[in-house]
Amino acid sequence: MIEQLATMAPGPLHWLVLTALLFAIGTYGILTRRNAVGVLMAVELALNSGALNFVVFNRYVAPAGVDGQIMSIFVIAVAAAEVVVGMAIFVVLFRHRQTVDVTRMNRIRD
Amino acid sequence: MNGQAASTVFFYVFAAVSVALAVATVISRRILRAAVALMGVLATSAAFYVMLDAEFLAGVQILVYVGGIVILLVYAVMLTRSSELIEDRPSGRRRGAALAVSTLFFVAAAGAFVASRFETLRPGALTVSGTTEIGRRLLDQGSTGYVLPFELISLLLLSVLIGGVVIARTNPDKGEDAK
Repeated sequence: MIEQLATMAPGPLHWLVLTALLFAIGTYGILTRRNAVGVLMAVELALNSGALNFVVFNRYVAPAGVDGQIMSIFVIAVAAAEVVVGMAIFVVLFRHRQTVDVTRMNRIRD
Repeated sequence: MNGQAASTVFFYVFAAVSVALAVATVISRRILRAAVALMGVLATSAAFYVMLDAEFLAGVQILVYVGGIVILLVYAVMLTRSSELIEDRPSGRRRGAALAVSTLFFVAAAGAFVASRFETLRPGALTVSGTTEIGRRLLDQGSTGYVLPFELISLLLLSVLIGGVVIARTNPDKGEDAK
């Protein structure tokens, strides 16, 4: 049993399929959510799977360095910046229109 | 041998939890529940970082994502009164199109991964701990260092800090919103 499990240890293919699945779920959320904050959450999901991918390649393709991990740190920093600006925009939008429904955002001004 | 068996079990358990919570994040009709599910996905990602020998990133993930970004998203939910609404179920056409696009992406990506071989291009192991190496590389000015992007990121974060305040503030002089 334990020997069998040990031969099934996850390799790069397993990890990449997992991150691709998480990214696909994020894409589904971006396309179906009506609430702008929900869209932002789905974007975070996709960004997170991208950051995970960098670490997977770091671990299996170039284990002698940490370049992938450093890229992931930059991805996380940019994601944080994006959420701050997104939240500020949503707060202003809500103050002007009393809704953050993205299907009603087809006008630039009132 | 035992360590590999354990990593197999952990991988599949955490992967199942992560995918289930990710699905909950995108289909939950209550946006606050989606935020809690997102927090779970990001926490399992921290576990994935530990399994991939990236302990420093696991800490960063918990501190920045779970402790910072999700809290900001919850604030955004509450400031836009989204928590009081139950979101309308998206129309069947929209759901079908989104499902087709995401399935197509997944099938194409998985097919490309199966057809590829991932060889170790730079074999070897780190001589110091990963955290030490990250700290050294981030401030290294040589050709393999990342000091320029590191400084650019700090500029980006500063401008985002100021930009967020400027966009979201109200103008007290006029008694109405700043344009």
